[in-house]
Amino acid sequence: MEIRLSCILLAAALLSGCSWFHRGHKASPDIVAEEPQAEPSIIEPQVTRRVVKTPHIKAKDFELGGYYGALSIQDFGTNPLYGVRAAYHVSEDIFLEAFVARSKAGTTSLEDVFPNITVVSDSGRHFTYYDLDVGYNVLPGEIFLGRGRAFNSALYVTVGMGDVKFADKDQFALNFGVGERLLITDWLAVHVDVRDHIFETSLTGRTKNVDNVEATLGLTVFF
Amino acid sequence: MRRLLALVLLVQALNIGLANAAAKNLVLVVTDPYLEMRSGPGRGFPIIYVIGRDELVTVLYSRTDWFKVRSLHGNEGWVRRDDLARTLAESGEPAPIPPYPDFASHRWELGAGYGVYNRENLVTTYLDFGLTTSLDAEFAVQQAFGTLDNRYVASLGLRHTFIPEWKWLSPTAGIGAAYQYVQDKVPPAPLQKTNEMAYVSLGARGFITRRFLWRVDWRHYVVFNNQNVYEDLEEWKFGLAVFF
Repeated sequence: MEIRLSCILLAAALLSGCSWFHRGHKASPDIVAEEPQAEPSIIEPQVTRRVVKTPHIKAKDFELGGYYGALSIQDFGTNPLYGVRAAYHVSEDIFLEAFVARSKAGTTSLEDVFPNITVVSDSGRHFTYYDLDVGYNVLPGEIFLGRGRAFNSALYVTVGMGDVKFADKDQFALNFGVGERLLITDWLAVHVDVRDHIFETSLTGRTKNVDNVEATLGLTVFF
Repeated sequence: MRRLLALVLLVQALNIGLANAAAKNLVLVVTDPYLEMRSGPGRGFPIIYVIGRDELVTVLYSRTDWFKVRSLHGNEGWVRRDDLARTLAESGEPAPIPPYPDFASHRWELGAGYGVYNRENLVTTYLDFGLTTSLDAEFAVQQAFGTLDNRYVASLGLRHTFIPEWKWLSPTAGIGAAYQYVQDKVPPAPLQKTNEMAYVSLGARGFITRRFLWRVDWRHYVVFNNQNVYEDLEEWKFGLAVFF
C-alpha cells in the first residue's frame, strides 16, 4: 500500500518536473478589456488597455555567514573562536556589518605557575562579543588563479564598537580590523580577517587597555 | 523509500522555482551606442564586453549601484546603474530601474551608533518608521557600560523633523517613554533593578549618500523610582543609518 502510494507521488513529482521544459516561456501580458457602456452610443469604443507587469530586479546587497579562527585573549592565551556575521552593502565602497562570536579563555601564566590561584572562574572564561562596524573597501580588484580564472576581491578595513563579555562582566570594546573578501562566485565569498578588540580591564591587578587580536577564516553568502 | 521520495519532491520543487525564476528576468534594449559590461561591481574593474545599440540585455540582479546582466550571446558582466537607466524596456518605455528612496519622504530607517549615557559609554541601535514626512515613530535598544553597572534601555517615542526638505541638516525634536534594566557589576545591588522613564530629545539629521544618513541626538530622561526625588539622566549619541 505504502509502495503504491509512493509510486503515485513519485509519478506526480515527475510530471510536475515537466515545468522545467517551460523555462524561458514568457507569461502573456494580462489584457484587461473595458466593459461596454450600458447606454447605447453611436460609436462603441473598442479600447483595450494593456497592463504591463515588469519583473522585479532582485537586489543582493546582504551578506550572511560564519567564521572560525583563533582569538588571542591578552594574558589568557590563544584559543579557538567561532562566530556569525551579517553585512549590508550600502555602496560599492561602504558596508555596515555586525558580528557575534564566542571563545573560551585559557589560563594565565600566573595560574600555570601557581595552580592554586584562580584569576577567573571557569564559567567566566567564556569570551563572548558582539560588534557593530562600518567597513570600507580600500583595495577592490581581481585575484588570478592560473591563466583562466579571475576572482573578484576586496581588501577592506572596519572600525566599530560593541560589547565584550568576559569574566562575567560586560565591557565596552572598540574594534579595528582589516580583511580580504574573495568572491568564489557572485554569491559566495571567503573572508580572511584580522581584528583587534580593545577594552579596559583590571582583571590582572592594575587597570589597563587589553588587545585581543583574532585571525579568522569565514564563508558568507550574498542574498 | 520515504527519504528518496522526499528528496525527489524537493528537487522538483527547486526545478519549478528555477523555471519560474528564469522567466522573471527583466529584458531591456540598449539605446546608447554601446553598453559597457565590467568584470565586477565596481568602478575600477576592467570592461570585458560591450553590447551594441538595439541589442537585448537581460538583467539578473543588482548589488549596490551595479547590475549583473547577460547579453544575448550569454556573456555576463556588471553594468553601472546610470548606464542601465538609459536603456528602454521592450515596450519602448524607459527602463524600470527602481529609483533610490526619496530622502525627504522615506519610510524606514535602521541605524546604530555610539553615545554617552549618564557619563558612560553607550551602544545604540534603532528602528524608525515615518508616519508622515515630518513625524516618525522611533524604537531604540541601547546598552550602557558603566563602572558600577550595565544598563539596558528600550525606548519608544515620536520624533518631529522640523524641515524635512533640508537635506544636509535638519533639526529634530521628540518625546517618548523608556524602560531601563540595571545589571550591577559591583555590590551593593541597586535599589531598583528596573525603572520606567520618560524623555525629551533634540537632535539633527542629514543625508550622506544614496540610502545613508547621519543622526545626532540629545536626550533628557526622567527616571521614575520609588524614592522622594526623581533621577535625571542625560544622553548624547551619534549614529549612522540606512533608509528604505
